[in-house]
Amino acid sequence: MRILSLNQISKKYNQAKEFAVNDVSFDVEEGEILALIGESGSGKTTVLRLIAGLEHPDAGSISLSGQVIVEGKKSVPAHERQVGMVFQDYALFPHLTILENVKFGLKKNLSDPIKVAEDTLKLVGLREDYHKYPHQLSGGQQQRVALARAIAPNPKILLMDEPFSNLDAMLKDQVREEIRQIIKKTGITAIFVTHDTKDALSTADRIAILHKGYLQQIDIPKNLYEFPVNPYVANFFGKRNEIMAVPREDGFHTTFGFITDPEAKKYKEKVRLMFRPEHGEVVRRDGQQLSGKIVKISYFGSHQMVKLADEEGKRVTIRTNPGRSFDGMERAFFYLWKYDVEEAF
Amino acid sequence: MNIVKRNYYWWNKWTGYSLLILLLIATPLFTIFFKLFEKPGGSWTHIANNLLFGYFQNTILILLGVAVLTFLLGVSTAWLVSNYEFPGRRYFEWLLILPLGFPGYIMAYTYVGILDYTGPIQVFLRNSFDIHIKGSLLDIMNLPGAIFILSITLFPYVFLISRSSFVQQSKTLQEASFLLGANRFQTFFKVALPMARPAIVAGIALASMEVLNDYGTVKYFGVSTFTTGIFRAWFSMGDAGTAIYLAAILMVFVFIILYLESIQRGNRQYSSVNGIQKPLVRIHPTLGKKIFYTALCSTIFLLSFLFPFLQLLHWVSMTYAKVVNQDFYLLIFRSFGLAVVSGALVVVLSVILLYALRLSPFKWVKNITKIATLGYAIPGAVIAVGVMIPLLALDKWIYASFISSKAVGLFFSGTLFALVFAYIVRFMAVGYNPVEAGFQKIGIHVNEASRLLGTRSTKTLWKIDLPLIKTSLISGILLVFVDVLKELPLTLILRPFNYQTLATKAFDMATNEMIAESANAALIIILTGIIPIIFLNKLIKKREL
Repeated sequence: MRILSLNQISKKYNQAKEFAVNDVSFDVEEGEILALIGESGSGKTTVLRLIAGLEHPDAGSISLSGQVIVEGKKSVPAHERQVGMVFQDYALFPHLTILENVKFGLKKNLSDPIKVAEDTLKLVGLREDYHKYPHQLSGGQQQRVALARAIAPNPKILLMDEPFSNLDAMLKDQVREEIRQIIKKTGITAIFVTHDTKDALSTADRIAILHKGYLQQIDIPKNLYEFPVNPYVANFFGKRNEIMAVPREDGFHTTFGFITDPEAKKYKEKVRLMFRPEHGEVVRRDGQQLSGKIVKISYFGSHQMVKLADEEGKRVTIRTNPGRSFDGMERAFFYLWKYDVEEAF
Repeated sequence: MNIVKRNYYWWNKWTGYSLLILLLIATPLFTIFFKLFEKPGGSWTHIANNLLFGYFQNTILILLGVAVLTFLLGVSTAWLVSNYEFPGRRYFEWLLILPLGFPGYIMAYTYVGILDYTGPIQVFLRNSFDIHIKGSLLDIMNLPGAIFILSITLFPYVFLISRSSFVQQSKTLQEASFLLGANRFQTFFKVALPMARPAIVAGIALASMEVLNDYGTVKYFGVSTFTTGIFRAWFSMGDAGTAIYLAAILMVFVFIILYLESIQRGNRQYSSVNGIQKPLVRIHPTLGKKIFYTALCSTIFLLSFLFPFLQLLHWVSMTYAKVVNQDFYLLIFRSFGLAVVSGALVVVLSVILLYALRLSPFKWVKNITKIATLGYAIPGAVIAVGVMIPLLALDKWIYASFISSKAVGLFFSGTLFALVFAYIVRFMAVGYNPVEAGFQKIGIHVNEASRLLGTRSTKTLWKIDLPLIKTSLISGILLVFVDVLKELPLTLILRPFNYQTLATKAFDMATNEMIAESANAALIIILTGIIPIIFLNKLIKKREL
């Protein structure tokens, strides 16, 4: 069931020349986790603030669980929207204890708000003394309190602004998984903003990519990676190589060598072949392979990246396993097991 | 689909309150402006022909004199304490700010007392060396005297702000200058001084505003300026129209100073381009220089604070038994009450204005809210006139509409209401700035988080924002409190008949040849004034480090 829908939302800030959010529409299904991803200035945080009611759009409408909450100049004020939010800086109330923070948003007519608050704190895995103040906690613990505070009143939707950006790399993987589990356990619908593709790919059910205020694509992670609708989306999820090729009857002729491909005869003009580093494989010389001069080898522990150049100096990057040795080699051979063909103009 | 349409997003009651407050605060300023287009009062021709030139001459000479002298005193001491290590350096950093606690008029008559026939210097000369001088040792009751008095009370503005600027200049820049062959002296004139220029000019501009505001000093010394002119037109001639004309000309001075200050600042940002800054390391000069620096700072401190302060103490010890009685306690109670009420009102209004700003998505709200803080640049006498005229009109209207014409008494003009209203207009900025800083420091997210948790904006203000900015609220009240306690010209014009505050009492006594007696009230004003100065200095130092 659709819980949130944005309809042609546009927003420009006071003095800005360009729209921060431009004609953005998307729906969110109940119970799903959606990641809004983009570079800084892409408008992703603005979208979050528009949903929360902290900003008002210049155009468009928003509806939440069957009610129009924004339309034209009118809107439901933030405090009546029942939207939970975890801020990037957590925004915990420093003068209240952990328990008071979590209790803050609970309805006064609840029979036992303290128990609800404590249960929520237990749910997020915080086993500290609940009468401590926020500054007595570590960053990770503060984040749990912020999450507990946001979900305790049982909001219609949970918004999180860069929830993983303040965590160090070691902690990140663990927290991502925990937060995903907490959200899934409560069955809450969540939208989070991030600039890190790893956050989005590993945590979200669906991902929406924003660029300069425009929504580029919204889809499940696999589709975004495998079937990007445009070069921006494709490049966003990691490096993509591009080489020019001339189609022949039985394959493509490139500056790195010949690729056998019966599909090639479908093309007449010059084409662009696009492939990610992991779509290539470095091999020993064996049959008809592509080859290039080794320019640089970068070691990353879990894998290596090999940069190869053709005669003209044009480079491609191929990913390979970390054990492969290139000692004493000037050239390396590779084949592509997957690539996209695009007509070049 | 069920359509829920609620409030217009741009409307909240805070914006409404805010507009109302701004309108009230702006009324005195608009009054002055619009009255300008009416005919001046009857005595205008007389003043224009006989006195106006003198007002201009004296006002400009005092402004220039104070600008030069505060520059010399402020910048030299600021350079010394920020660049050199010498005995007492750490103490001078705050001792040299203390003169700010001395209102100009108190400094003026204290100095007259020091140099007088019965003053400590002449007594000492007579008793020890049998030197007899007729009259005052040195006549300072003139224009140069006024410049001297105002400069020694106002130079701390320049000192404070240029000290901040010198300390923030990166050490690397100075090192680069040395490596390029300049000595410390040349470095000061070619690098440090030009870089600190915007700050120094801002400090001098502040001092100039205080000069234009001053009434007590020039009145006591018999120097006619625009401020004394406004008093003369208002009280002696009973000519409100002329008072407004003079007030308007005084406003032109204010705007010229503000304008000059803003164009010299321009868009330039004289700060280091990169974020990495090595802190300035103070150098140890030779022994001779150390002694000289200490002596220089000590002399300035003695002249600008310690001597007059000791003189006041001496007078108090002579007269307190006579002066400090039931009436005096009542006077203290009254002044403090007035100052606390004004301070609290300023802070309450600031909170409303700033909270409206905090919740508003619009730039224009921010722009018009600046009106609220304009009063601090406007001389007290001008504000007094601007407050009095609409209130008189309001009283007249009330009488005409509701009460028979023979009734006596005033509703607004000539009451404490008028006085407190004028204090609010004049000192809004003083309380507004710390509250603004407080809101900025806690950030908007805690407020948004509270509203998203279902709490309305008013409740959020009480439960989240206000508890978090408690310190700022208190310092806002405190700062306004001290300024109200010191305020003289505005109080003199607007106080109810025969109503005295510490400041007016001290001034009245001093002008009536009861200088020693006046010291009791003066000392209380100065002692209360010193508390926030020390507090302020701590704040600035924290920001410097």
